[in-house]
Amino acid sequence: MISGDSITLRLGGRAILQSAYVDAVPGSITALVGRSGAGKTTLFEVLVGRRRPDGGQVRWNGERVGRPALPALARRGLFYHPDRPWLAVHLSLADHMQLLGTAHDWRGAVDALGATAWLGRRIGTLSGGELRLAELALGFALRPTVALLDEPFRGLEPRHRDEVATVVRRFAAGGAAVLYADHDVHAVRGTADRLFSIEQGATRLVPDFRERPLHEWYHAWPT
Amino acid sequence: MGVWLTSALFRSYLRRFILLWIVGKVANAATAAVVGLPPLAFRPGTELVVCALELAVLVAFVRRANEDILLGNLRLRLPVALAPLVLVHVALSLATSLLA
Repeated sequence: MISGDSITLRLGGRAILQSAYVDAVPGSITALVGRSGAGKTTLFEVLVGRRRPDGGQVRWNGERVGRPALPALARRGLFYHPDRPWLAVHLSLADHMQLLGTAHDWRGAVDALGATAWLGRRIGTLSGGELRLAELALGFALRPTVALLDEPFRGLEPRHRDEVATVVRRFAAGGAAVLYADHDVHAVRGTADRLFSIEQGATRLVPDFRERPLHEWYHAWPT
Repeated sequence: MGVWLTSALFRSYLRRFILLWIVGKVANAATAAVVGLPPLAFRPGTELVVCALELAVLVAFVRRANEDILLGNLRLRLPVALAPLVLVHVALSLATSLLA
């Protein structure tokens, strides 16, 4: 399990994260929901070591990670999907899969996401939805124990969204911890098991979020 | 590491690095000629600086394309992934100096 505890970050004199807390729990899907600019991406970047916070700590299975770095976290079982394209545009998905080694069985992940049809096409020629599925196919083929997915559903047509949601659910049902960021609050109800809201860089766990009206997901609601 | 060195991604970095090496060698040779040194001679200190510059440019390309995230997910640290290119630089520069 990964968690970020009391994460604070200021950029250009502005507080981006204010004592934010978020975690991912094995066997469940946790959503981090907030408006654009609320700090979702920045919090994810702190968790994987792409940004150094002013305060707070990242923990892995409760143990403090001194200086988080993606390769080291990936060796522990983390997969990070950022909110922007990250595959090599001049290579095909098959080329990427070969990076996993010949002993690695990645066909299942590719089939599950319906990405087999464009396995040999250059990444740069894929549509936005196809690209997202290709990225997730590679990520799930790595068989991570924790997945941090920043806006994995953004730009996907409903069919692709359902495919991704199904794979994410299956992945969590297998015991993995999934933490994903989204701003589609309606879709989150059908996908997530747990929910953190984030507003102006501060987070809050929202219990019983499926039963609560949307305005109660944010910090204005009384405790 | 064997999988990485035989991968299409590493080969693409190798191609880009060789282009950068050519640019670096031309610039290095021109500068050496101006100050009256043998243009294609192997000078370890200069080669170290040029190689560092070539790698810095390549790293900038890799980061710009977010491929450092790809490498990270594949559990590869960028310095480790690109380290073999130092040997490529040395080999190419030594071969050029011997042929000159």
